[in-house]
Amino acid sequence: MASSTLTRRGLLRGVGTATVVTSCVRKPNDGKSDHPPITNVHTPAEIGPEPTSVSFTLDGKPAIVQVEPRVTLLEALRLDLDVTGPKLVCDRGACGACTVMVDGVPRNACMMLAHDVAGANVTTVAALGTPEALSELQAAFVRHDALQCGFCTSGMLVSCAALLQRRGPTRNKLTAEEVEDAIAGNLCRCGTYPHVVAAVLETAGAPPPTSRRGEA
Amino acid sequence: MTRTKIDVGFGDTRTTIEVDLPESEPRPWDARAELAVVGRELPRIDGALKVSGRARYTFDISLPRMLHAAVLRASLPAATIKSISLAKAEKRPGVVGVLALVKPGDRVLFAGQDVAAVAASRPELARDALAYVEVEYEAAPFVVDVVTAAKATAPRVHQGNVAERQTEGDEPGTGRGGTAEGNVRPMPVSQRGNVDAALKKAAVVHEAEYITQVQTHSALETHGIIVAWRGDDAMDVWCSTQGTFSVRDELAQIFGLDPRNVEVVSDYVGGGFGAKFGASAPGTRLGFVAGELARTTGRPVKLMCDRHEEQVCTGNRPDSFQRLRVGVDATGRLVGIHAKSLGTAGIGTGAGIGRNAFGVYTRCPNVRVEASDVFTNCGPATAMRAPGHPQGAFALELALDELAAKAKLDPLRLRIDHDEHPVRRWQAEEGAKRFGWTAARKRSADQRARNTRLRRGVGMAASIWGDFGRGGAAQVTCRIARDGRVTVENGVQDIGTGIGTVMAQVAAEVLLLDPRAITVRIGHTAYGPSVGSGGSTTTSSVTPAVRNAVEKAKIELIAVAAAQLGAKPSQVVWGAGGTVTTAAGKTLSFAALCKKLPAEEILATGSRARTYGHHPASFMGEPMQQIAGVQFAEVEVDTWTGVVRPVRVLAIHDAGRIMNRLTARSQVNGGIILGTSYALLEERVMDRDFGRMLNPNLESYKIAGPRDIPDIEVVLTDVYAGNNSTGAIGIGEPATIPTAAAIACAVFDALGVPVRSLPITPAKVLAALGKVPGKGTPT
Repeated sequence: MASSTLTRRGLLRGVGTATVVTSCVRKPNDGKSDHPPITNVHTPAEIGPEPTSVSFTLDGKPAIVQVEPRVTLLEALRLDLDVTGPKLVCDRGACGACTVMVDGVPRNACMMLAHDVAGANVTTVAALGTPEALSELQAAFVRHDALQCGFCTSGMLVSCAALLQRRGPTRNKLTAEEVEDAIAGNLCRCGTYPHVVAAVLETAGAPPPTSRRGEA
Repeated sequence: MTRTKIDVGFGDTRTTIEVDLPESEPRPWDARAELAVVGRELPRIDGALKVSGRARYTFDISLPRMLHAAVLRASLPAATIKSISLAKAEKRPGVVGVLALVKPGDRVLFAGQDVAAVAASRPELARDALAYVEVEYEAAPFVVDVVTAAKATAPRVHQGNVAERQTEGDEPGTGRGGTAEGNVRPMPVSQRGNVDAALKKAAVVHEAEYITQVQTHSALETHGIIVAWRGDDAMDVWCSTQGTFSVRDELAQIFGLDPRNVEVVSDYVGGGFGAKFGASAPGTRLGFVAGELARTTGRPVKLMCDRHEEQVCTGNRPDSFQRLRVGVDATGRLVGIHAKSLGTAGIGTGAGIGRNAFGVYTRCPNVRVEASDVFTNCGPATAMRAPGHPQGAFALELALDELAAKAKLDPLRLRIDHDEHPVRRWQAEEGAKRFGWTAARKRSADQRARNTRLRRGVGMAASIWGDFGRGGAAQVTCRIARDGRVTVENGVQDIGTGIGTVMAQVAAEVLLLDPRAITVRIGHTAYGPSVGSGGSTTTSSVTPAVRNAVEKAKIELIAVAAAQLGAKPSQVVWGAGGTVTTAAGKTLSFAALCKKLPAEEILATGSRARTYGHHPASFMGEPMQQIAGVQFAEVEVDTWTGVVRPVRVLAIHDAGRIMNRLTARSQVNGGIILGTSYALLEERVMDRDFGRMLNPNLESYKIAGPRDIPDIEVVLTDVYAGNNSTGAIGIGEPATIPTAAAIACAVFDALGVPVRSLPITPAKVLAALGKVPGKGTPT
């Protein structure tokens, strides 16, 4: 993935939009690329700026989307695939509301390009469970009121699900501090953190937080 | 009106008062009422949709043929527009519509002001095209800080008078400022007694300046709106708002439409802390831009602010520079409180300091609170969660602690002795025991004496708020259908407080059903008039209307049951699960009863009566309850690094009868976390040389993360105030008022020297300890 870091939009932003706009010879934007779909980040490919197809696995199903190479994974998910669980909040990797798992690792979808996930496995909050059949973790979030407005919740859940996955059989040894570390990149403005921690520890079968965090 | 006796009280106290109830009013749920569903910890009913990512917020809505708009914002803090051309932008790829928002000769008043907008097929194409809008500015002198702006020589921000922008987020009864002199515009003064004379005679006087910063709302979902015209005289609108009807009214006014032809939907809102009223935001005409671009292009237009825009032009909590003078006589009686503040709401108004100084320590006979807006070339402020109060509480409570230290008084005793609110006094006494106040203060003194590196400290502060619930403002419809489905409908929005869940509980309580069986329809203007979620009014305004509507439907159901069972309505007993029984032993299940409805649905509407009464304390002499709350905070300060770690907060609040202990606790948690973030982390930084915000994002504008917060203990003290048919009062705002104040007092206790400026950063702590050469006083 070393090469992908160079193509990140973060770099483009650092250079400044104006520089990029003036230094690129733009083809008509609605032109279609005849390039075959990119299915692997290691495929040699010279594409853009017109939309080019990229394929990956999204929540267990094959997905293909035709986007400009500069389009972030988050925008491709939300705008082109209408997958709106991941939210756009800060748009620069500071808040975690867009967190998805890429090959099992929680990542900020706003800090990756759609073409970065060619051939990869992308998991959003929608894959954790449906409203009719919530996962244990989701159900615990609801029980503990670990969500208020709910806008951070998708990202918060993906970070927590990744933590539980990572810990596997030792999840019942999780501590409040470890949960807080896992969600350190997920900002919430309503104030749900203590309830998120309680929900994760309960799901993990770990002892509840030792400090007093509930109503007495 | 019927004169009715109801039981009121709190803790172990009970009294009977008489109130006048409208004829149609059910018997209020007073102190005697024992409820099964209301008050319980019920998880929110939309939880499953939110945790599965299926809840569609405004930001998630996509319509066929929809365009995305983006706004070009002024890059200079003060300027005159020389020329503007959209010709090149209009030709950019994907662009369908353009709109100039200024014309030559217009003045720019802050960096971030609307200049032009485009609508394009994709958001990134709209943003790209903005680079091709050609604008010529003639730069003008500007000022972005209060101290400079208040000087007579400062550049004038406004020419002429400034209109106050009041929203439902503002505390009722505030505003109405005077005429500006230079950039300084005074607000009404609150006073009693003669504070100057009293402080002249006082045995001990403390005087100092206290500073608070500008805080931004930083709701996670930015301001945003989608407008889709239906013909040329009607529109459908989706908006991330705290007031669906305020959105409707603003759009109807802008476009000259009948408000009935503007339908506003807000199914889910990604947070609202006071800035989301109307179709626009305080510093940007979002409603006009989306509506006008939709009109000219003939396509739906979506306009969402990005984070930068959200930070600079959608409102903020004003800063304050407060001079406090407080004094006690030789016996330790508080004789005077004088607070005088300058603060900036940017180009807007409303930099007040709340009610704490005037309204909490009412046994102090002489008080004067004066505040002025100082105009600066910054984005306009607007109401933010308890407008003015956290600022005022911080200065007042820290000043009282400093006075107590000087006069060798116990700061907790000083507060309890001068507070007339029986609930708050009780909360303070109980809280001190639960918190271990006395032992903790001893430990702080010991650590100070031993000059340890790590120091613990504790502080305490008070909250004051009113029951601003509004009579008649919310009209709720209850539908009961032949298939047994019970629906309650109202146009109110749920900004994350859980009002929909509480509505289900109230309906379930009346009908003795499972709350999960109630269908709640909210977030749409078609569902009937309601209040905006500001002033902590929603629960108090809406729940009585729900109850009254469902009670009416129940009366109709009982009439049907009576006819079916061959009894008089008065002989029908309503039981668990909605089963009806007569004295003769005849019975009918709820499902069977509904099947017998003469029409396919019963439809009953209810509204909330005017607030009947208040007990045991009124808010600022008004006929409404004063809500009480106290918070105790403990911090640990590293005197080598200056880092303040919030250790724990004990919050004791009342909000009338608690409707849902789970969601109410979440509100208090949220208030404390917001307050902690305000105390220690958040600060808008303006560049004095360029007049722009330096941290318009979420990585250098710090909001508290999971490791930045204290352990929180919440105690909700039910108070039966006799105010409305459910007894509910709001809690959103009072919960954030005392947190920063309590933390600042705790830092003072830990260090022995005060840090009189928020946020309490390591640099300020070290300066206060005299560890920064040339700054502060050595310990």
